[in-house]
Amino acid sequence: MYAWIWRKLPGPFAAKLTLAVVLVLGVIALLMFVVFPWLEPRLWFNEVAVN
Amino acid sequence: MATREGPDDDRRRHPGHGQPTPQRRPATPPRGQVPPRPPQRGPQGQPPRRPQGPPPRRYTSPPPPPGANDETIVFAPVGKGGAATKEKPAAAPLGKSGVAIRTAGEVLITLGLVVLLFMVYELYVTDLFSAGKQSEASDQLDGEWAHDRTLHPELIDGKAFARIHIPSFGVDYNFTIQEGTDDAALEVGPGHYKGTALPGEPGNFAVAGHRVGKGAPFNDLDNLSSCDQIVIETSTDFYIYKVLPYDDEMKDWAGGKGADPKCKGVSTLRDGGAEDGGAYSETFGRKVVLPSQGTAVNPVPYKGADVLPKAQQAALLTLTTCHPQFSARERLIITSVLTQQVPKNQVKDYGDLLSKIGEA
Repeated sequence: MYAWIWRKLPGPFAAKLTLAVVLVLGVIALLMFVVFPWLEPRLWFNEVAVN
Repeated sequence: MATREGPDDDRRRHPGHGQPTPQRRPATPPRGQVPPRPPQRGPQGQPPRRPQGPPPRRYTSPPPPPGANDETIVFAPVGKGGAATKEKPAAAPLGKSGVAIRTAGEVLITLGLVVLLFMVYELYVTDLFSAGKQSEASDQLDGEWAHDRTLHPELIDGKAFARIHIPSFGVDYNFTIQEGTDDAALEVGPGHYKGTALPGEPGNFAVAGHRVGKGAPFNDLDNLSSCDQIVIETSTDFYIYKVLPYDDEMKDWAGGKGADPKCKGVSTLRDGGAEDGGAYSETFGRKVVLPSQGTAVNPVPYKGADVLPKAQQAALLTLTTCHPQFSARERLIITSVLTQQVPKNQVKDYGDLLSKIGEA
């Protein structure tokens, strides 16, 4: 999978590396700002109130 | 030559000396033998002699020609860097199933990293998000208090209306208290259970807060002990609550810890006349209950609404958070009782209050 992505990235090594870093950071940002905030209320371990 | 036979010498030594072709060093030391070398010496150790002869394990030992008193040492071809592992034979191409297995492994590793990242998010990143919201709420509350000192705060869902200080957690420990205990309110800071009493009122002013992540305002609630002060600040007053006696201190409270001056105003709330201790028989400074035990925030904790008329109810403050830490299996309940009310016009600020109540 990762080897395939690496092969698909265009350009010389430096360009590939830059693109790869940008991709990784983009995925982390997506997780941190979109996926995790959406997921978190659906999990149970953050309940602090009695009801 | 035979005197230097090390364990790995046989595969590196090429006794080609004397033969004109492999000998590359015309000026051979006449002494005859190269100095002993450490076993791991790379090719750069012997710069003039380039590697020659492809297979490392070959030990061709034609008898040295007469007069040969030197030897040629041949190293395995290990590439420029000298790391023997650098040049591996190309891996055989994976078949379809090989590719599938590798991809599955990569997916699993990726999922593991995502889970780790989620933990980082829960423990640290939500703190950052909440810190921003908390400071915004705090500034807004200060602004409102500076402009308008209404006696009864307007309760708007998710909006701060009071502030909690716990002196034993440090002078700078303070969080705004929002109305409501939904996720959005608790992300900003502790939240007030809707419908429970307000600060200073008889009944039970109940507040929930996160223990892990989201600023973790109630992270250290289990470090509180009885008689520790909890200060609730409203637009007009400071309300000083003190944590009620713990279960093991109840019995000998008046003669034991209760006699401590810092426990002034803290009683067991037990009714000596009643056999079971009266309305507050279930109320302790610290209690661990199941999440379903919503009666913990009742006006009289764990008792029905009609057990005491409102005028006779003690003014309590109840803090709830999850328990044990990192789990939501139970809830930690800290209950304290109002001991003092200090109008804000009698003290300059919270620091001044602390020095007056003997905490600073």
